[in-house]
Amino acid sequence: MATMQNTLRKSHIIADRTATVSRLEEVVATSDEFDQVVAQALPILLDRAAGYTKRFLRETGQWNDDIEHEKFALRWGSEYLERFLVCGRTEVPCRPLFLFDSLVAKQHSKPEPFCYHPDLLKPLGRFLDGLVARAVVSRDALIALYHHSYGWGAGDVIAVTGLNGLESQRIYKNFRRWRESGWQRTMDEIGLTKAELVELESQRQRQRQRFNSEAERLIRVAQGHYRKSEPDHYPCLSRSQWGEMFSQGYGCDYRIWHLALCLDCMQTAWGLGSSESSAEKPRLELQVRP
Amino acid sequence: MVQEEDLELYRSQLLDLRSERPSRSVRGLLDPIQVYVNERRVGELKGAEIEATLHVHGVDHIETVQLRTEDGRLLGGLVAPESGFRTARVQFSADTVELCVQNTVQGGSLSAVFIPAPSFWNRTWTILADIADRWMVRRPASTMAYGIRTVAFTQVLLATAVIGLVADRVMIWIAPEHIVAPTAQAEALRTASIAEVEQLAKQLRELRLMQTKVGDALQSQEKGMTLLHQTMARLSSTQESVASSVVMVKEEIEKRQESTEREADRPVQLPVGRGVVDQEQFETAIHGLAADNERLSKQIAGLEEHNRTLTAKLQMAIAHVAKAVEQNPERVVAREADVARKHQLVPVADSRQNTQAQPFLFWVTFSEGTTQESIDQWVNGMKGHKGSLNEGWQEVQIIPPPVPPDLFLEQIKGDKIIKEARLNH
Ligand SMILES: [Zn+2]
Repeated sequence: MATMQNTLRKSHIIADRTATVSRLEEVVATSDEFDQVVAQALPILLDRAAGYTKRFLRETGQWNDDIEHEKFALRWGSEYLERFLVCGRTEVPCRPLFLFDSLVAKQHSKPEPFCYHPDLLKPLGRFLDGLVARAVVSRDALIALYHHSYGWGAGDVIAVTGLNGLESQRIYKNFRRWRESGWQRTMDEIGLTKAELVELESQRQRQRQRFNSEAERLIRVAQGHYRKSEPDHYPCLSRSQWGEMFSQGYGCDYRIWHLALCLDCMQTAWGLGSSESSAEKPRLELQVRP
Repeated sequence: MVQEEDLELYRSQLLDLRSERPSRSVRGLLDPIQVYVNERRVGELKGAEIEATLHVHGVDHIETVQLRTEDGRLLGGLVAPESGFRTARVQFSADTVELCVQNTVQGGSLSAVFIPAPSFWNRTWTILADIADRWMVRRPASTMAYGIRTVAFTQVLLATAVIGLVADRVMIWIAPEHIVAPTAQAEALRTASIAEVEQLAKQLRELRLMQTKVGDALQSQEKGMTLLHQTMARLSSTQESVASSVVMVKEEIEKRQESTEREADRPVQLPVGRGVVDQEQFETAIHGLAADNERLSKQIAGLEEHNRTLTAKLQMAIAHVAKAVEQNPERVVAREADVARKHQLVPVADSRQNTQAQPFLFWVTFSEGTTQESIDQWVNGMKGHKGSLNEGWQEVQIIPPPVPPDLFLEQIKGDKIIKEARLNH
């Protein structure tokens, strides 16, 4: 009896899915209609994008049958879905399903659609990859990178990057929002569970040195990949170039962006911001909590 | 099994995140909006209570444009067409960003304009400007469009008020039919209508006064907004170009220092210093502001001229009304309606003509070695003609281009013989 009910329920689900998919294949004429049709099909679209990502990883020899890879495919599927939801509504009239497929295909035809490294799939790697990836799209996360990398507070960030009064206010806001919601949201996006976070925190306390040197190795991989999202004219600079920028007080954005995303330049530019020149150069001291 | 549950939990977590409406995302009142082109950050719109603009121009094609809050949420965006234009309006809470993307063989360009949630006065104007819009041919969003709309709005305000007054009269004239006996009607109307006309004239004077006041307020606010807008745009572009030129200059100095060491006897010409570049940019900005002032005062003069015409027409209408009342009381209603219709249409037609007749002015400098002949050829090619020449800048007048002025200038800069192009000298 139970089996029959189960089978019945399953066939209902399949029928529902088929109806939703065929609705996605039809033309939608307005943005509102687009929102409505797509909102009912989120699970289907997420699974579809994750499926494409899985296939891409398989075809490029980067797939493994484990939960880490499954999560990775889901995470990127979800990224594509977010962009589709926002950009797709300006593409009307369209057939949502085909538009979605072409959007994912376009992403996968780029040279490096995402930052893939087997070590970045483990909890520590996922944490770092997630943080740096978020820093690319969120200024709150970018500023928070200073805290997570070196343990600094807002005042330290302002001093190190040599910011003026107006910009300083913004840094405090960035910190506050990150603590209130940004960090949790980022953890949700990358799917780090409470247990995994507790485990990371205890590793940090028990084996500080090993933890930090492993973190440094991994964050370099992530930074190298995501720095490509910086404006074109933000390359690494020499100490005298950084010095010029700090003393003349220009390139605020340049300093904030590049120094957050480049361990080496942080070392190079150390001491130019304000009076901390006597202190030792900063080393990576990864913080798990905001 | 635990792993499967873990994965299912993650999946539903992601679905929850995706089903949040982007518009629900909280953006602080003064928080800037981050602008991404092809998923690369290109700048931000410092959106507070004033309009802000960001222009991006590059050799690469634009594929996508995205707007994000400081906390990284996607507010909106668009997928650019392979070639040609696309515009989109992204609305979040009460603020709006207007995006305009263009891809050509020379590359892609984007203009993003932040339009803040209107204040009380802004809202009032917007309602009236919307009335104006209904009677106007909408031009693509540009800095000019605001000014034109303001002019049209003032005219329509007058027209609306006139219709209001006329309707008021009509009501007064209709009403007696039901209470006054037919024999007394003509006499009553004659005496009444002369008084009415006098009153109408008085109200007209008040109306003109009011209109002048509203016009003044509008102009001063618009002027302020334009100035702020342009200063912001210029300052941010100055900052950008300074930042990138410094890097280039630094590299240049280093290169030159190296070569100096090798060939110590060869004289080295150092590139222009940052301070000089900075000052020049600021001077240009000040020049620009002065020219903008001038253009605005011209617009105001035009507006005043137009109001005079309108008033004259109105007075003619009043004369007609007076005559009609004396000749045939029954036909008053019909004739009034006619007058009202005429007046309703007049400002619209006029403002449209004004818009089209106004030539588009801009300034260019030509690449070195360009002959006068090829300059003339170029100007003729655009069906334009040359204006004054000032410190190497040539003024050119053409019929208004179909694209926003900034994009148009970017397009001409692609022409081989053009060195620089801008709106104001
Ligand atoms: Zn660097």
